[in-house]
Amino acid sequence: MSSSPRTIIVTGGSRGLGAGIVQSFLDSGDRVASCSRSTTPQVKEWESDPAYADRFLFIEADIADRDQSTAFVQAVVDKWGTIDVLVNNAGVARDGILALFSDEDSDTVIDLNLKATIHITKRVVRNMLSHGGGSIVNISSIVGLTGYRGLTVYSATKAALDGFTRSLARELGSRKITVNSVASGYLKTEMSHGLDDAQLNQIVRRTPAGRLGEPDDIARAIQFLVDERNNWLTGQVLVVDGGLTC
Amino acid sequence: MNDVQTTVLTVIEQLLERSDKSGVVVTLDSVIHGDGLSLDSLETAELSAILEDEFGSDPFAAGLMPETVAEIVAFYGAGEGAAAS
Repeated sequence: MSSSPRTIIVTGGSRGLGAGIVQSFLDSGDRVASCSRSTTPQVKEWESDPAYADRFLFIEADIADRDQSTAFVQAVVDKWGTIDVLVNNAGVARDGILALFSDEDSDTVIDLNLKATIHITKRVVRNMLSHGGGSIVNISSIVGLTGYRGLTVYSATKAALDGFTRSLARELGSRKITVNSVASGYLKTEMSHGLDDAQLNQIVRRTPAGRLGEPDDIARAIQFLVDERNNWLTGQVLVVDGGLTC
Repeated sequence: MNDVQTTVLTVIEQLLERSDKSGVVVTLDSVIHGDGLSLDSLETAELSAILEDEFGSDPFAAGLMPETVAEIVAFYGAGEGAAAS
């Protein structure tokens, strides 16, 4: 349990990995705000749970829309004043070889994974600069490091996020703001990027840990990165993949 | 001195104190960058964010690049910014 509740924003927290991250911060006693394009049964469960009364805020918002993204951040600031942690989790994957990839799919992936992340980070950084500190974690992917056939655009956005992490860490280090990436391996969530069972079984066979990841594997790494005691750790890409890329 | 002037001067003085420049005297004529208050780009971003917190808008985000404290005050005085909170 944290000594005093922090205010955490987790984008795309209504399902899958994002929901696991939200749950982790609710469990650590923090105030958690999240958004996604639609409400899910998991969100309704959190909203109705008295244990999270006044500690959970969900707003339906498409952060690829800058006005909605700005309004979401403003709603969090209006409710809790300051933002201590931003977890940029919202993302979308579209698979297909590049030569047949539609321009619309390229735009969708880049608009959400990259442009929306940059915009919401800018809004949150202004709050962190104003109150003097914070932590940002960008959810990246091992495919941004290794590449993956059929995920060219997705992997490009994740590699770009890692570059964003490093530059922003350099910009903000003197203001007690840390910025890191978590390069996630393959998880047992619906975001396994359209991989079929044969592909997933092959990944498991090649993974030293012998299993796919759980959202909590990633959430624990994020908790480590945003722990105030670890504020000398910034500008890094932490690979959490069961050893697949080692 | 009106409320806007007082708030802007206080915000800048607090920012300078945070940046270990507390000996610098701030007046309406103070130049923000260079030989004046010597704010660097990150300190300017901090000033922009704090002014937005205080007034609901700020001249830097509005695309203006005020050169003196008086020009910041004028942005709010001209009614382009929101009322002081």
